[in-house]
Amino acid sequence: MALQVYTASLLKEGLVAYLALDNGRPSWTTDIHQATVSNDDALETLKSAAEQSEQDNIVVAPYAIDVFQTENGIVATTKREQIRAAGPTIALPQGNIRESREAA
Amino acid sequence: MYQYSEQDHQLLLERVSQFRGQVARRLKGELSEEEFKHQRLRNGLYLQLHAYMLRVAIPYGLLSSEQMRTLAHIARKYDKGYGHFSTRQNIQYNWPKLEDVPDILDDLAKVEMHAIQTSGNCIRNTTSDPLAGVARDEIEDPRPYCELIRQWSTFHPEFNFLPRKFKIAVSGATQDRAAVAVHDIGLRLVKSKTSDEIGFEVYVGGGLGRTPMLGKVIRAFLPKQDMLTYLEAILRVYNMLGRRDNIYKARIKILVHETGEEKFRELVEAEWEKIKAGGLYLKEEDFNWVKGFFNDPEYDILPDQDADFENLMLSNADFARWVDKNIELHKQSGYRIVYLSLKTAHQPPGDVTADQMDAIADLADKYSLGHIRTTHRQNLVLSDVQLKDLPVLWEELKALDLATPNYNHVTDIISCPGLDYCALATARSIPISQAITARFDDYDFINDLGDVSINISGCINACGHHHVANIGILGVNKKGTEVYQLTLGGSAREDAAIGKIIGPAFEADEIVDAVSKVLSVYLENREDPEETFLTAYRRLGPALFKERLYG
Amino acid sequence: MDNYIKDRKVDSNEWMPFTGLEDSDSLPTGDIYVPLEEWLNARETLLTRNGRLGVALRNTDDPAIIKDDLERLDLVVLEFPKMADGRAFTQARLLRERYGFKGEIRATGDVLYDQLFYMQRCGMNGFELRDDQNASNSLKAFEEMTVTYQPASDEELPLWRRNK
Repeated sequence: MALQVYTASLLKEGLVAYLALDNGRPSWTTDIHQATVSNDDALETLKSAAEQSEQDNIVVAPYAIDVFQTENGIVATTKREQIRAAGPTIALPQGNIRESREAA
Repeated sequence: MYQYSEQDHQLLLERVSQFRGQVARRLKGELSEEEFKHQRLRNGLYLQLHAYMLRVAIPYGLLSSEQMRTLAHIARKYDKGYGHFSTRQNIQYNWPKLEDVPDILDDLAKVEMHAIQTSGNCIRNTTSDPLAGVARDEIEDPRPYCELIRQWSTFHPEFNFLPRKFKIAVSGATQDRAAVAVHDIGLRLVKSKTSDEIGFEVYVGGGLGRTPMLGKVIRAFLPKQDMLTYLEAILRVYNMLGRRDNIYKARIKILVHETGEEKFRELVEAEWEKIKAGGLYLKEEDFNWVKGFFNDPEYDILPDQDADFENLMLSNADFARWVDKNIELHKQSGYRIVYLSLKTAHQPPGDVTADQMDAIADLADKYSLGHIRTTHRQNLVLSDVQLKDLPVLWEELKALDLATPNYNHVTDIISCPGLDYCALATARSIPISQAITARFDDYDFINDLGDVSINISGCINACGHHHVANIGILGVNKKGTEVYQLTLGGSAREDAAIGKIIGPAFEADEIVDAVSKVLSVYLENREDPEETFLTAYRRLGPALFKERLYG
Repeated sequence: MDNYIKDRKVDSNEWMPFTGLEDSDSLPTGDIYVPLEEWLNARETLLTRNGRLGVALRNTDDPAIIKDDLERLDLVVLEFPKMADGRAFTQARLLRERYGFKGEIRATGDVLYDQLFYMQRCGMNGFELRDDQNASNSLKAFEEMTVTYQPASDEELPLWRRNK
């Protein structure tokens, strides 16, 4: 059973964000582990919520990605999406400080 | 250096105000993303893998120390404390917020900087020789011409919605340090064969990406007065006839290729005939005016030797190595050109921290008449350093990690940002550059290899210029895995050539060995230590390399 | 509802597009513009009418085709099929500067606020804005930049020469 989450870029910050639905109320988090996972059946609900957020100018270009549920949380299936979730795989200049992301 | 007039300033302020309005409309939803995208791109703002990316223009690679300090300030205030110098002499910031960008542009405008037309299907930053004005092999300083092109192309009302992006490079020396052969238009300053007149050899249709091509000489000698009218003619032909049905076939190189060089030339010349006497025809007064911004500084009269320098050369091997690799002779006696290598084991190629930028600005003021240049190989240049200051400058650069003695050598690697940053990428490039740098972290080896270029692109768009490297690496995605194709024999210089793929791609943990094997074949088979990698490759052909790589 | 600007003022559009000349028995009256093909086929017939005449070019048409007719025309209509397709900018400049057209050059199609300034510089003076654009709010677009660098339909010389 394929699992998916919805992801997009936040309009204002440009940061990567994932859709979380809390009793139908959508919010966007920069932490993939807090994304609402759905299987094929529930995807429509996520999709409409994501598109609504785009209409509301909260996010840009939402789309669905495949994920695994692991004991370490939600992991994207492709390298590209893993990098989007975790940040650059190299140390940023400034003495190897990788800043942690806050939830949106 | 060009000094902005009131009107230049006015233009920048109006542009920032215009963009501020566009951002506000976008945030309110009055402008759709589709429409806003065209506007934000023309202000250099991309939406990338992790965040927005702002590309700030550094016209023909020339910066004042004051401008460098502002770049540091922006990195600190609005970004994560660093910037990245690109393969088109610009600087990129990877983490700005959309709502901050108008403020960033305001801060830039205070020092005559901007992000105008650094993206979008318009005429981009005109790039040039980082040694302009100081090189010994210079025919004429290209920068005044670049400045004229900059003004002509900025907000050009007819050419702001071209079929695709448009890149122009100008070189003024016998050696080509601006890669003019792989630009949409490349201009090389040359002397007329029949007189002392200086004009341009005009190349059109060079480019990299999916379909790398070398530019064709459309005009062997163009008098300099005709520079802008001729450019206008080329752009007009392109605007009307360039393909708009397929973005991968929309660059002018495709138009030249599909039209045929001869026919294309006819079209340009026919259009040019009609406009060559118009308002863009350049007069002596125009050249005198613009050249006035690029006069030689008041050089001190100095001998071309210095006792302290010589003593240090003899007593300190590290200093001697740095001088050998990162110092270039200068047209003026007693002066030298200093390369600041941004290629270390400690930072991605081309990245500079805000602290480093401030320090570089101070060094420029102290030792190099207040100017810095950027290069398309993602390094920096201090162009006017006195020979006697080299010892003390070296100490300062070492402390800043900017003195790695590898300019134009094997660890002077060009790397695009790749999949770590870029939404278009198919593979990571920076980790590969770091792995190669770590593997060849031996000065004697680097020295023995001599002049050799490695360029890495993280996707087929080739922003890392891998096609024109002696050893090019292209990262692609094969069924979810990043794999790396090797090309050999490219050159971005006056002997420009597109590298050839040597064989099947390598996995990430194999590519460094592959590069190592290629270098071994060179070392084993070169005629003598003076024969460069490229010369040896051209002589030997791919066979020996292929055999070593694939058995 | 008209969303039309002419000479920097919101205006009402007096012109009617007309096609299908061969099918009609009589010529329409009033101010009409026809596609280039029809103009070329029925030029003389059209010129016998009362009422002004215009021609609509596709953005792949070379304006040189109608250069000798421009004195008889009051309108040339250009198109932006997509805002990113900038061929009409060249067409407008050629009509205005090379062929000396004195009538209205009108932009139609994907015409938005953000391109009006460039369009005007290229010689366009009539604008049928896209439906979702607001004509009155768009008037300030023409004043957005007070400094221009290069020659175009509105300037003969580059900025550096104008200061002398």
